[in-house]
Amino acid sequence: MEINKENNHKSVEDISAKTQYIIENQNPFRNFKLENYKYAQLHKKIIPKNSVRDFKYFRDIKDLSLDLSTKSLKSVNLRSTLDNWSFYSNDSYFRVESLIERSGSLIPLDEFEQSIFSLDISKMTENITITKKKEKHQTIILLNTNVEDEVPKSILIDLSDNSNLDIIHYNISNHKSFLYFESKQGNHSKLNFITFQSNNAHTRNEYFASLGSHCHFELSGLNFDNVGVNDNYSFIQHLKPSSSSREVFKSIVDKGAITNFQGKIYVDSIAQKTDGYQMSRSLLLDDISKANNKPELEIYADDVKCSHGSTVSQINKDQIYYFNSRGINKNEAQKILQKAFLSETLENISSVELKDFSLKLLDNLIN
Amino acid sequence: MLEIKNLCVSIEDKQILKGMNLKINDGEVHALMGPNGSGKSTLSYVLSGKEGYEIVSGSIHYNGRDLLNLDVDERANEGIFLAFQYPMEIPGVQTSFFLKTAINAKRKYQGLDEIDALEFAKLIKSKAGDLDISPEMLKRDLNVNYSGGEKKKQEILQMSLLDPSMAILDETDSGLDIDALRIVSEGVNKLRTPNNAFLVITHYQRLLNYIKPDFVHIIADGKIVKSGDFSLALELEEKGYDEISKSA
Repeated sequence: MEINKENNHKSVEDISAKTQYIIENQNPFRNFKLENYKYAQLHKKIIPKNSVRDFKYFRDIKDLSLDLSTKSLKSVNLRSTLDNWSFYSNDSYFRVESLIERSGSLIPLDEFEQSIFSLDISKMTENITITKKKEKHQTIILLNTNVEDEVPKSILIDLSDNSNLDIIHYNISNHKSFLYFESKQGNHSKLNFITFQSNNAHTRNEYFASLGSHCHFELSGLNFDNVGVNDNYSFIQHLKPSSSSREVFKSIVDKGAITNFQGKIYVDSIAQKTDGYQMSRSLLLDDISKANNKPELEIYADDVKCSHGSTVSQINKDQIYYFNSRGINKNEAQKILQKAFLSETLENISSVELKDFSLKLLDNLIN
Repeated sequence: MLEIKNLCVSIEDKQILKGMNLKINDGEVHALMGPNGSGKSTLSYVLSGKEGYEIVSGSIHYNGRDLLNLDVDERANEGIFLAFQYPMEIPGVQTSFFLKTAINAKRKYQGLDEIDALEFAKLIKSKAGDLDISPEMLKRDLNVNYSGGEKKKQEILQMSLLDPSMAILDETDSGLDIDALRIVSEGVNKLRTPNNAFLVITHYQRLLNYIKPDFVHIIADGKIVKSGDFSLALELEEKGYDEISKSA
């Protein structure tokens, strides 16, 4: 309950100078009512009420994959890359000068034969740029655990035409973790990003995706069992005709935690035949927790299909009763229903092993 | 088995059951018939322990124990089973997983180990086969996009797997076609033993042609107004509720 009060800012005075600056100068909606929740209260020291558990499940997936970080990474100048991409700093809390000024490393995926890699970004301080030119399907596992970040991790993905990539981001057991994720997709490429967030004290993840023609972007996220504030912000740009995106976020909050989701689908005037879908759903397990969901569509083309939905609800009591009437107790019924609610976001992991692993992980963490 | 004495139940200050008395012995099948709104479903929910029903007075004893003191899941594990009129849809939960969880909940309650995977597969194959439920169906989410008949069959499958001692069937025949009605009735008949009992709630005598009741009760305005044997159901079909209630 203390956490809830800590973050429930009513007045602007509570907001640090940096956040205030952003709200005044960069908030694209500054003419509207202040929507403070869109900007994580990063300056606030969140002390988790529950201690964040140690996380040991990852040994299993390390067997499946090749550790990318053991390879020497090539150094790149990120500034030139970022300047060429089509986002502006005022879209993001993190896309700031400091990010650009850090050193950057390049991972050219085509130079690796394997199909599944892991990259432990927990201790990483440089910006990572991942490039892929070949069609061959590959999967990257991003591990982000047990960290206390001050600056965001930044991952940039550059997919050339026809390439095909899965990214699974495990964002678990962190005191403070921030991710800036940006992708640029060439024509006919496919990118599937899954983010698994649990047991964090304070998280903000930003996803910026820019789509060429006939490409597909998929963003699925689940978060549960966090303390403090969990933020997910996405900005999906359809810049050329006939691309599709599908975004599903599911969150469960309890014990005074807060989850925020804000997602925008932007369709450029030439991006006809765009197919965009966005769904954000939250479950509240008690009456001291909060879920803020804000779907946004910004469409300048006239022949598009875009839909979005957002729900905040509690676990259905009649469903619990149905379980009870079959001898399954309330506690177990709730766990099963929570898993059922979240598992949809793991459905489209291409690798069968990783899908199984993720489902087991979910099982483990909920029990 | 089950003894209901002078049961008065209200929901949101509206009294639904007004002094209900019913005694069911081991091995018996009782049919409960009555017009819409007479309290049939309320009785079934009260027996299973659903929240929101206020017991104003009266008692329910089940095998000598005070049933009203038990939680819903305890009642189920003690052998009470309610086949719902409108079974709940549970998206995201595979039917076979649900069945296994329910079986294991009961086994745990009885102090047994979890069911062996192979044993479960065999059990479910034979029980589902009896009810003409395909293996594909067991892979689907529980009751999601099931037809009315499939949902009712699913309830009977759960009943046969959990092997209850006191089963309540709440309008299991509604929404069933003739073939499904026969299959479901055969499923129920197979479960009959001298040690269990059934309370069959229905509007139609047709179901009772298949599941022969030992007793037929007519409920009107929250209490049983007439009891008899199977011939009462036939009489009811002929004369209708109005006349029977008046003559009672």
